[in-house]
Amino acid sequence: MSTNGVETTYFRRVSRWKLLLIILTVALVLTIIISLNVGFAQIPFSTILQILAKRIPFLGSLVGSSNIPYSAERIILEIRMPRILAGALVGAALSAAGVVYQGIFKNPMADPYVLGVSAGAAVGASLAIVFGIGFTLFGVNTMPILAFAGSLVAVFIVYNISRVGSRVPVTTLLLSGIAVSIFLSAIVAILQVIAGKKLHAVVFWLMGGFSGVEWKDVWAILPLIFIGTVIIYFFARDLNILSLGEETAQNLGVDVEKVKKVLLIFGSLVTAAAVSISGLIGFIGLMIPHITRIMIGPDHRVLLPTSIIVGASFLVICDAVARVIVSPVELPVGVITALSGGPFFIYLLRKKKESYGV
Amino acid sequence: MAVLTVDGIDCYYGSVRVLENVCLSVEERDFVGVLGPNGSGKTTLLRSISRTLKPHRGVIFLNDADIYALKSVEVAKQMAVVPQDNVIAFNFTALDIVLMGRNPHLSRFQMESEKDIAIARKTMELTNTWHLAERPLNELSGGERQRVIIARALAQEPKVLLLDEPTVHLDINNQLEIMDLLKDLCIRRELIVLAVFHDFNLAARYCDSAILLNDGKIISMGNLNAVLTSENIRKVFQVDAVVKKHPITNSLYIIPISMPKPSLSRKLSVHLICGAGTGTTLMKILAEEGYNVTAGVLNVLDTDYETAQLLKIPVTSEAPFSPITEETYKVNLEMMSKASAVVITAVPFGYANLQNLEAAKEALERGIPTFVIEEVPIEQRDFTKGKAEKHLTELKSKGAIFVKNQNELLSLLDILEDKLNMTKELSSKIPGHFKSETNSCEVDEVDGSKSSNF
Repeated sequence: MSTNGVETTYFRRVSRWKLLLIILTVALVLTIIISLNVGFAQIPFSTILQILAKRIPFLGSLVGSSNIPYSAERIILEIRMPRILAGALVGAALSAAGVVYQGIFKNPMADPYVLGVSAGAAVGASLAIVFGIGFTLFGVNTMPILAFAGSLVAVFIVYNISRVGSRVPVTTLLLSGIAVSIFLSAIVAILQVIAGKKLHAVVFWLMGGFSGVEWKDVWAILPLIFIGTVIIYFFARDLNILSLGEETAQNLGVDVEKVKKVLLIFGSLVTAAAVSISGLIGFIGLMIPHITRIMIGPDHRVLLPTSIIVGASFLVICDAVARVIVSPVELPVGVITALSGGPFFIYLLRKKKESYGV
Repeated sequence: MAVLTVDGIDCYYGSVRVLENVCLSVEERDFVGVLGPNGSGKTTLLRSISRTLKPHRGVIFLNDADIYALKSVEVAKQMAVVPQDNVIAFNFTALDIVLMGRNPHLSRFQMESEKDIAIARKTMELTNTWHLAERPLNELSGGERQRVIIARALAQEPKVLLLDEPTVHLDINNQLEIMDLLKDLCIRRELIVLAVFHDFNLAARYCDSAILLNDGKIISMGNLNAVLTSENIRKVFQVDAVVKKHPITNSLYIIPISMPKPSLSRKLSVHLICGAGTGTTLMKILAEEGYNVTAGVLNVLDTDYETAQLLKIPVTSEAPFSPITEETYKVNLEMMSKASAVVITAVPFGYANLQNLEAAKEALERGIPTFVIEEVPIEQRDFTKGKAEKHLTELKSKGAIFVKNQNELLSLLDILEDKLNMTKELSSKIPGHFKSETNSCEVDEVDGSKSSNF
């Protein structure tokens, strides 16, 4: 019956979403495996597969391991693997936070850094680098910890500047985010001036990258990012309704102030976790949500997971390119994200201008 | 039993009090219009009832529960709001938007089921928007969008529907469609509809009762006939208005009559020969422009007669449907003679009002300037077998001025007014003095380049 067309299309859309997510997840896994092959040291792909298979329970015992060079196993498992997984995690976290902030602020320019996370982290990291504050504390690198702390302090300040009683008006939030960021950037500038020989390290951190990332860094941010994004996903439908405006959302039964608070807290948390190990990687958090929205529509229940997976894959690819494009020198990954993503985004914008509904 | 009760609320924006001691109660199937001038607190009342703006004092009950003590999701199951502006940040389809109305009925992890789609479809069919289901909301026209938003509100399955100017920015056909829909919902679905309106006539046609707000206070409340009175409208809007029953819809309708501008007052008095509504606009314009207007002879019950009564214009009148008697003729002529100009509108002439033209002739002979508006050729409105036409030709030959329309007349009256002022000045001063004054004026103009006060 033709009158059932709309209903059928609707439910078909939902099942198409599920299929899309499965395909994208498989693509992410493949991207990770393939990018393990990318690097200065040439390691045959078959060897990589062998190394990976060995780690899989039961299957591992069936794979002969005698012909795997020890150095190759070290490079793959101890250097490339944590680095790639960190890239995936950071890409996922920044994309998720981007979706959240664009949804809350209903502003196409919103990105994970609008609330001052980046500037706060920059101050923390610069302090750690310039003053070398107990460079290792109990065997833990303090730089990510200071960056993480710095970003949370910045968000806390921004949030409290904007708060009116129990309400947080988004326009004030946006503006105080900008104000605090500018202030903190000035502090970073001062730190750069007095950095002396360490200036290079500060600048490199600010440009973002994954060199030197270890397993312990991955383990530190994994639970934060995993729990944070899962909680954010619980509020996906509320994000849809928030796009109707806060008063209307309230009238539709959304506890707007509570939802906003939860989303801001966890959005900032995953961003801070990401930034703490990767430095400031631009573009991802701003553009990935837009790109996926143009491709699959504005429904946050699918937009959020899709953006997470696409963002993760994209950053893994960008990092792989950054490692080898001007080998043996490594480019900051932020350069690659902007160089490749910018033109692609402009292409999409021109092609599907009419459906760009922001 | 009242479903919705507002008990003595005061609302503030900052330190400004916007609502003061507002009390009202609404029962099932009520269609209530909230009326009042801009800034009177209409939208604020709606916002506080919709649990958006908490009153500083007073309580709002929805089925005996204080709405500000309920969770927003509980309120959303019983009350839906159609806001005034519906800008959507992202490109959701109409169906997506309507399904968002199911939010209060869904738990956090629940996807919309077939039942929700069915409800959305039902409400969209009711608002005649189902065919738009897959179109992005932002691409729809104003009327379509408004109907989708109403469908969303209905998808909440509410008992109370609040609307903020639901028909503003819409064409008349869309206005009527939305109002018909609301009325129908009210009757068939036992819905309470509480809506803010700007358009009194639209509200009067559909609402059962009304609340008239001014300055945050309820001025009048209850049955439409009691609320929509010309006294209330004058009190709230400082505008004189006529309130009448419409002959076709049998509902109240209101015609605002703007007040004469007090700054304008002219010496010129104008007598109108009109009738059958041909003088109505002219009377209003002349009165507003500050002319002293008289009219006659008009039959009682004539449209122009009623307008004259409303504008408090002196009229020589005759009984309904009766020819002009000798006596009335004289009274009218007397009135005409006092005027500084006589204006004959494009009124149809029959045997009952033919004498008005004779009177005009006599006035013209007495030296009163006479103007004839010839918007409609006399052949088309002469029902006296050429007699009226003959009178007009005679008037023309005696110096009556024929004008094409009202605007031409007004500009000629302006000139006449200036002339009249001048002659009055002339008569009050000796001619020589007047002349020297003009000369000095010219001198002033010549010296203008040197003199600083020019």
